[in-house]
Amino acid sequence: MHHLSMALKNLKNNFSFYALYLLSAAFVITIFFAFTSFSMNKVMLEKISNDGRVETMCNTISVFLMAFVVFYMSYSNRFFLRRRTKELGIYALLGYRKSTMLSLLMTENLLTCTGAFIAGILLGGFFHKGIVFGITKLLDLAVNHSEIPFFNPNAILKTACFIFTVVIVLALSNGRFLFKTSLMDLVRYEKSAEKKMKFHAVLSVIGFLAVISGYCLALDILRGTKSLWITVGFYPVGMLTFALILSGTVLFIESSLPFAVQAGKKNKRKFYTETKIITTPGFIYRIHSNSRTLIMLTLLSAATLTVSSVMALTLYYPIAAVSRMAPSEIECRIEEENEITAIKEIVNTYSSDADVTFLQTDLYKVASTAKQLPMEYSIGTSKGDADNEKILREAGFECISYSAYKALLEAQGRTKVLEHLAALNKDECILIKYQPDPDNNETDSVYPLLIGNEEIPVIVTSATLDNPISFANSVGTLVISDDLYHTIAEQSVPAVKILSINGKSIEDNEALFQALSDYLPGSPYLQGNSHRVHEIFSLNSSTFLLIGFLVVLFFIAAGSILYFNNVSAVTDSKSDYEILWKMGYTDKRIKKIIKKQTAAFFSIPFLFGLADCIFGTLVYKSALMQNILGNSPLLYAPTMAAIILTFLIYLGYYHITVHTCCKAVLTK
Amino acid sequence: MSALLEAKEVTKIYAKAQRPSLNKVSFSVSKSEFIAIMGASGSGKTTLLNVLSTIDTPTGGSITIDGINIKNLTDSGAADFRRDKLGFIFQEYLLLDSLTIFENIAVPLTLQKLPPEKIENMVKSLAETFGIDTQLHKYPNELSGGQRQRASALRAIVKRPSILFADEPTGALDSNSATDLLNTLKESNKTLNTTILMVTHDAYAASFADRILIFKDGRIVQELFKQNDDRRTFYESIARKVAKLDTER
Repeated sequence: MHHLSMALKNLKNNFSFYALYLLSAAFVITIFFAFTSFSMNKVMLEKISNDGRVETMCNTISVFLMAFVVFYMSYSNRFFLRRRTKELGIYALLGYRKSTMLSLLMTENLLTCTGAFIAGILLGGFFHKGIVFGITKLLDLAVNHSEIPFFNPNAILKTACFIFTVVIVLALSNGRFLFKTSLMDLVRYEKSAEKKMKFHAVLSVIGFLAVISGYCLALDILRGTKSLWITVGFYPVGMLTFALILSGTVLFIESSLPFAVQAGKKNKRKFYTETKIITTPGFIYRIHSNSRTLIMLTLLSAATLTVSSVMALTLYYPIAAVSRMAPSEIECRIEEENEITAIKEIVNTYSSDADVTFLQTDLYKVASTAKQLPMEYSIGTSKGDADNEKILREAGFECISYSAYKALLEAQGRTKVLEHLAALNKDECILIKYQPDPDNNETDSVYPLLIGNEEIPVIVTSATLDNPISFANSVGTLVISDDLYHTIAEQSVPAVKILSINGKSIEDNEALFQALSDYLPGSPYLQGNSHRVHEIFSLNSSTFLLIGFLVVLFFIAAGSILYFNNVSAVTDSKSDYEILWKMGYTDKRIKKIIKKQTAAFFSIPFLFGLADCIFGTLVYKSALMQNILGNSPLLYAPTMAAIILTFLIYLGYYHITVHTCCKAVLTK
Repeated sequence: MSALLEAKEVTKIYAKAQRPSLNKVSFSVSKSEFIAIMGASGSGKTTLLNVLSTIDTPTGGSITIDGINIKNLTDSGAADFRRDKLGFIFQEYLLLDSLTIFENIAVPLTLQKLPPEKIENMVKSLAETFGIDTQLHKYPNELSGGQRQRASALRAIVKRPSILFADEPTGALDSNSATDLLNTLKESNKTLNTTILMVTHDAYAASFADRILIFKDGRIVQELFKQNDDRRTFYESIARKVAKLDTER
């Protein structure tokens, strides 16, 4: 029989066996083709990348993506080769040459990859169009969709060349395996008994301690200025933590885990049960031969979870912080009186609704003679303090009246803040903090304010993060009583006029913001809430999208490898389950055993990945992100979302795996 | 002696098969009896063993073991029946590679939910009796074929089954290991009163039994009794009978 017809027959007869491989390869090629199409989409790149940053990222991610596809396809190929070694041994016994067997394998691979390629190109085309549609909607871009082809010929060519190269790499790897393996080994390769497991108590303890130390070191960042991350330095402590967790993970999976499970066998009451007596030794036995795969999956899982969590946090945090950076829908500084009329006219041109409010606030800059002043008093007064270092600020409190504060909060719709707002006496004030400072509580502090030749002391009744004016226009804001505010106003104290514009009808009105921007060209004081959110999306979406490609690919690979690994282990032990069945184990009990065995292998990478993600995100948030929102649990919502999503993906793969394993074993 | 197993007109017809694999087979087995079932390949020996042990279902007839009509058992009822009443020994040993010999022997006892102390005592004392107590903490792949098959036998008899089914238990063993295993089975039959039904096509192995049922084309064509013969004489008479049947094929 010609090897092409043999390959076709083999694929046809074992379709269910190859279906997942075909499906996952098609998924991988879908991602690859969609990514390649996107990186070759000049229309989109012109819209979202002005400085070539996206193109550079595309090139970098493309390398990762290619390496990953090669790794994943090699793993899958190796899995199928292992499953077929006995069959290849029979071919060899029948007189087939190794070169003939190699061409048979290559033909099968070529056929599978061609199928996956066709499916991948079709799905990838849809996926690419979907991404383009999503981005244009999200960023409100004017794109002529007819200019973007469904199938980019260059992307198809690049994908085809790459897949063909992968097939060649797989053929070389298969050839190496076939020519290195003797006939006897080919026939007996499928189920060779594992060597006896050795347990190393010292390595187990080191592994456990390394992981715990790594996590403790990560937690140390919560000690703030006293933490080793600050006193010793971020880089050395970061490297040490990474090394401890990495080496600890390797040792923990290779030694600590089997050692602990073996030790657990001493608890006879728990061990001598119908399920545990099978699953516990089975786990130790399997971990011996699968520790490398598990370590690789754990690290992959940790990287995927951490990257997706950090990515979600990086996008969510600045958006959440917009409520502080630009609390009003639009806000600007008024330099001349006639500007107000002009601005009102522009707003009326772009919005005819009557819900728009214009609030003018006069901020008075007042110095204080207190020895201990909050950091907000002098923030931005020297180089290195602020983002915009061209404009240095004069030190002092910027005073706003209680009624103006209330009016602004009301216009901004912050009803919850208003509910808890207590009235102020003449000598009382509220300090608006730039960022939370748990080490220094300013409540009850007394700041003598220099008004004219007089010193008027004010007591801080509360410090709050609810600023009514953007930080571009006011830092070190002090809310004072209306009486005191009038006293200050009567003196010739330097003042700044701020115009805050709010209203539902002007939200997400990019045209209005552009018109105001044209009227106040280059003004650093013009701030817009919706505009800022839009800006964050357009600046970051391409980065997230490109990293998103990698994350999706990681998930497909991790899930498929776990699937292949478990299905392979269970089907290799099919005879063991038959013995159990003959001994009197019911199908239900056998299913329970399969579930437990599979769950153990799914939970190791997931739980380790989860722990690494939590500690990694903690370090990232504490050390690398500016904290202007306090420690609200809401901030961890994106991390939680990433974890839940990962859990659901793992759960899906787990159920598919258990279903396949049970089908393979329990079919009589 | 009372009948432990009663098979009446047991028939098994596989779809697409030209003739029945079991054709109205009837026989009974008494308590503590050691029976060998012989016959050429395809004569229906293994089919009979599978049908008797609830692994397969008969097309017709009835089978009663220890007063239970196994034809009426549900899937889970059959599993419980195998757990409580039956023991198995297979040609390929079929020990669980990931478990030590101790754990392998203990599995049927955990299934019966016995307390850990009792499980340990039962396994240890049986292993001592049959001389594999020094191998208990080894894994199957660390033992010879004979040792593995003996462990497999102990796993089958440890729970004191009503009846022990052995399918070609000496098929993969050298002559010394085969004799050791057959002595183990005989010893278990005598000292523990284990009822044994052994399928074999080896006359030497069959000579350890008390009675032999010879199968041909799905029927029992001959029944041999050991009676007061010694094993050697019995072996010679089995060999003669089998040779005669072979020439009549």
